[in-house]
Amino acid sequence: MADLSLMWRNTRMVVLCAISAALYAAVLVPFKALPIIPGITELRPANAIPVVCSFLFGPAAGWGSAIGNMIGDFFGGVGPGDVFGFFGNLFYGYVPYKIWRIIADGESPVSRSPATIAKYAITCLLASILCADFVGWGDNMLALRPFSVLGNLIVINNATAAFVLAPFILYEVYPRVRKGRMLYTDVMSEVTPPSRAASALGLAMLAVGTLGAWAVGNLVSTGYWIPSLIPPGMAQPPYDRAIAIAVTPFMMLAVAGVGLM
Amino acid sequence: MPIYLYIERIGVLHRLHPTVKVFALFVMFWSVYWVDHPLALLPLGLLLLAAAKNAGAWPNFYRLRWLFVMVILFTTLAWMIFYRRGPVLIDLKFIHLSRASLLFGFGRGLKLAELLATSVVFLSTTKIEEFTVGLSSLRVPYRAGFAITLAFRLAPLFMDSAITVYQAQSLRGYDFNRGGPLERIRRYVPVIIPVFMGALRKANAMAMALEARGFGRISRPTSFIEYPVAPRDVAASIGLLAIGAVYFMIYYTGYGAIPLK
Repeated sequence: MADLSLMWRNTRMVVLCAISAALYAAVLVPFKALPIIPGITELRPANAIPVVCSFLFGPAAGWGSAIGNMIGDFFGGVGPGDVFGFFGNLFYGYVPYKIWRIIADGESPVSRSPATIAKYAITCLLASILCADFVGWGDNMLALRPFSVLGNLIVINNATAAFVLAPFILYEVYPRVRKGRMLYTDVMSEVTPPSRAASALGLAMLAVGTLGAWAVGNLVSTGYWIPSLIPPGMAQPPYDRAIAIAVTPFMMLAVAGVGLM
Repeated sequence: MPIYLYIERIGVLHRLHPTVKVFALFVMFWSVYWVDHPLALLPLGLLLLAAAKNAGAWPNFYRLRWLFVMVILFTTLAWMIFYRRGPVLIDLKFIHLSRASLLFGFGRGLKLAELLATSVVFLSTTKIEEFTVGLSSLRVPYRAGFAITLAFRLAPLFMDSAITVYQAQSLRGYDFNRGGPLERIRRYVPVIIPVFMGALRKANAMAMALEARGFGRISRPTSFIEYPVAPRDVAASIGLLAIGAVYFMIYYTGYGAIPLK
């Protein structure tokens, strides 16, 4: 994850980060008025922006997504849970380009071959679930909102925007940005990616951690399954401590995986 | 929905030091976090109403009135489904209507509404440059603070250009309301692409302009605007510390908890 800190040394990446954040917030804020479940989440077509920006600007899109979401949160109420929203969105904007680099190896994301579409779907789905894990895990640990409500809504919201809207934007924008030499590979050419073995291990850890956290978070927050190691006193609604014990190892695995990628 | 909620006024809250305002935001999160019972949350709600009156923030509260009502209503309902504790009052299949679930759900709704109110009061009294000063006093790196400020500034510009493109496309006869929900979302692609490309055109020039002005040469640049610490800032900080301490004591003594019987 060295690129996340290295990008701040590059003025053009700082500007691209601000532009990603502003674009995200500009689409996010008007839709704050159209909540799906008020106080939980709203219709978010803006969630296509971090995915598009990730393929274009790499690490700048990660920070841009986190900042853009923070700006949006100010208009729907900020709170302690927004710290997790910040990191969830950071990874939502950061992870797609990392996964794409490993599974597509320099291939253009706008190619319409079935293999490219499948790789794109895997990339967006993992990023969407990781973001949902972060927010659901954090908010349920703080006993603000249940993982099973928030986590699943975020997956649907993110994945819908990433599948329905993002490909069309990417199809139009990606070739132009590449031609203008504004892709992250052009702007930050000094960053060397880790070895293929480390990247593959990182991706496997990310997939296991992300999907594990999502499954366990859903089961524990609804009370369908509580791991036997959790004391009975903690296995009570709102399951805040149970979620902390059961989901945290998966989250750590996912973050460690991203670190290796 | 407007992106700026700031209200021009010379009130006590407006004149507080930016760091104190950011600290107030933190203290409100802290205090709200520790207690669950609606009665324990009530004094904070009253305090926020007094702050809103002082800040002249009623127009913003009025604009968001339905969001406040919906946040409380839907959060109460959501937790009545998941917080299945205490003796049942009315036995419904999905909703566990008990005194405990009602109090817990209403408490969570009130918590989220108070967090929303905190952000509305904060945005009504804080300019973007003050927010940046607040962040920098919290040791947020200058370049990150700059990206946040720039994103706040650019977001309304992008929203304006999106409205212009929307109107131009509508004039040409493009129907944004045709088809089902997914098709309607997809029909916004011709609005997003020109805004996106316009933003990218600015990025290069902006980066060059910044570097020409020596952006990033020093890690803590000086500013034209100075915010001296006044006695009211010290008094406000002591008051905020007291609120935070009182709320922690309410939690510690168990008065802020929901009785299960």
